Amino acid sequence: MAELRQIAIYGKGGIGKSTTTQNLTAGLVEHGKKVMVVGCDPKADSTRLLLGGLAQKTVLDTIREEGEDIELNRIMKEGFGGTKCVESGGPEPGVGCAGRGIITSINMLENLGAYTDDLDYVFYDVLGDVVCGGFAMPIREGKAKEIYIVASGEMMALYAANNISKGIQRYARTGGVRLGGIICNSRNVDRELDLLRAFSKELGTKLLYFVPRDNVVQHAEINKKTVIEYKPDSNQAQEYRNLAQAVIENTDFVIPTPMTQERLEEILLEYGMMELSDDYKI
Amino acid sequence: MAINLNNSNVATRENRIGSITGYIGSLKDLATQSECGTLKGCSRCFSQSSSCLSGCALGQLGAIRDIAIIHHGPAGCSVAAAGTYYIDKVMAKKRGVTNKTVYIGTDMNENDTIFGSTEKLRQIILEVNKRYSPKAIFVSSSCATGIIGEDIDSIVDEVKEEIDVPVVAVHCEGFKSRIWATGFDIADHAVLQSIVQPPREGVKTNKINFKNFFESARPEIIEMFKNFDLEPQFLYCNSTVEELSHLSEALATTCICGTLGNYIGNALEEKYGVPYVRSINQCGITGFETWLREIGKVTGRSEKIEKYIEEQRAIYIPKIEEVKKQLKGLRAVLGMGPGYTFEVSRVLNELGIEVVWALAWHYDKKYENGDVPPSMKYLLDNDIDFEASVSDQQNYEVMNVLHKYQPDLYLSRHPGSTVWAIKNGTPAVYVADEYMIFGYKHTLDFAYSILDSINNRSFEKNLAKRTKLPYTDWWYKQNVGEFMVQDKA
Repeated sequence: MAELRQIAIYGKGGIGKSTTTQNLTAGLVEHGKKVMVVGCDPKADSTRLLLGGLAQKTVLDTIREEGEDIELNRIMKEGFGGTKCVESGGPEPGVGCAGRGIITSINMLENLGAYTDDLDYVFYDVLGDVVCGGFAMPIREGKAKEIYIVASGEMMALYAANNISKGIQRYARTGGVRLGGIICNSRNVDRELDLLRAFSKELGTKLLYFVPRDNVVQHAEINKKTVIEYKPDSNQAQEYRNLAQAVIENTDFVIPTPMTQERLEEILLEYGMMELSDDYKI
Repeated sequence: MAINLNNSNVATRENRIGSITGYIGSLKDLATQSECGTLKGCSRCFSQSSSCLSGCALGQLGAIRDIAIIHHGPAGCSVAAAGTYYIDKVMAKKRGVTNKTVYIGTDMNENDTIFGSTEKLRQIILEVNKRYSPKAIFVSSSCATGIIGEDIDSIVDEVKEEIDVPVVAVHCEGFKSRIWATGFDIADHAVLQSIVQPPREGVKTNKINFKNFFESARPEIIEMFKNFDLEPQFLYCNSTVEELSHLSEALATTCICGTLGNYIGNALEEKYGVPYVRSINQCGITGFETWLREIGKVTGRSEKIEKYIEEQRAIYIPKIEEVKKQLKGLRAVLGMGPGYTFEVSRVLNELGIEVVWALAWHYDKKYENGDVPPSMKYLLDNDIDFEASVSDQQNYEVMNVLHKYQPDLYLSRHPGSTVWAIKNGTPAVYVADEYMIFGYKHTLDFAYSILDSINNRSFEKNLAKRTKLPYTDWWYKQNVGEFMVQDKA
């Protein structure tokens, strides 16, 4: 039995972390892997495509309503291909402390023995901006040791990715957490592939995979399915299978080298903006 | 600095008046740097435990009669409740009144922290009101509610419509200031915001607001003030909400301790024009006379006061002069809050005792009106200087000073501090009661207390002989400020 790989997925809000994580999971399942997905976002929408809807009761809601003496099956549901799905959940917007919620629910998962020996992968799908210590919980205390950042060629996505790398660098000093690479969820911006490669190189990592943009993703989402389940024969399904293969084969784990704001802007200018001015037409 | 009563949050002392908790140097340097604005505090790379500002804030408010304190936080935050009940009961009994104040903790748990618990808080406020019918309700935050941004202000605003008595939010997250005296300001702010009313039209009063801790000298101050046709209104211990609502009508505000009274004194002056008596405090001969004359000046009673001073001097000065002969040449170290350190230093100087080192638990660079604290100004004007440090009850620093200077005497106002001196073999005077050096009579008593302490040293000697202190020789050889680090500008 191979060692359990715990992976945290970070990235700017709205970049497609949940969609990528779930499609990647579906790809891993097809490779015969046992996967658990832990949603670490108060919105609790990280497992919707695997479960075919938001039927899941979150860990925190369950603790609140039923107390701490609960069974694992109350908070863990089985989704596509036998994946184990958990949503941490959290408070309503504007009240309480979502970060504390993640700490509590991950501790609860450990106490309830959710990390069973048969698992090959655990994914933590974390809220866009790592706004406080709670959202760094999945990469602390020996949990996720492997991180992928989902990004695109848009400036704010790269800005966020660079910031997240600062957090990884902090925890890498004391723990074993490492950056496994950047996953590009393409937005079809100019020279996106080149830009992402250059950005990844500057961060000291690599562009793990470039997921092209395809409307089938949107269609699958509306149907509450991953692309692999919804259209197994589509090109995009194959892209996610390839992504899964890239994750399985990946052995390059680094401590990232975040760049200054100035350097980031230089890279953007080199790969993004230059083209714009050249192509200017009325 | 303008006091903003529209906002329920009070800026910290560090923020408002440049207070610091770390400094080593001389009194003159400290005062000079305060005046010209160059004073920068130090942090420590090692610090012993200190105190929490919520204790000061809620301790003050809890002493008001027949009110409710609701401490919104985990159960442990309400640790001050026991002390508050004890003090309330003892002080009420001493005065011969009853005090039905209650101190309620909301017992916030993990779920409340994650999801917020304002709805529970609302129910608790309503239930406390129903069950105890308090005259005012103070709803306090804690560190946990502060971090999660629990919206106590909105809940307080909402329940106001259902509750007839004042309900007020008190923001005292312990982490926001290293200076526990910020809690005094927070308590004052809450009272000013919700209890104090504008002066009633046509009401004439001869009251002086007198901010103190435990009103032990109440009877004698009432008697003394009768000579001047004045009446003290002590606060907050045993005062009623009704009494506090009329603070704005007083002739003046004064206090026993500048640290304690500074905020409310300045606020009442700024908002209602009630003069704040900003003299050195009533400790010792000069202090007492300066304070009385200032009272005379602001209330138009100088003549009566001069007469009183003359009479009292005739009784007490010869006695004080007599005991001074036996105190001359003694060397003292003292460690107190800044409202007392520099006042008591003056009295010691007056009694012929040399202050070799004074520690203040914190230091306010300036008071609310922008002036250097009067006690400092006095020492500076009179060319009195000694080594001084600012140390938030860092006992290891006190012990280092005592070990190096081997003074004849250590004085402190905080429980426990004098015990350490005694274990070191240093005679110590515990200046517990805030009126221990008040006026001529108590200055004389104080002088005798010192004399007693230094004449009967066998206890200290014997205890020191049998006590092993935890400090190593290494530490005693270090500079007092070994663990201080200069703060960034």
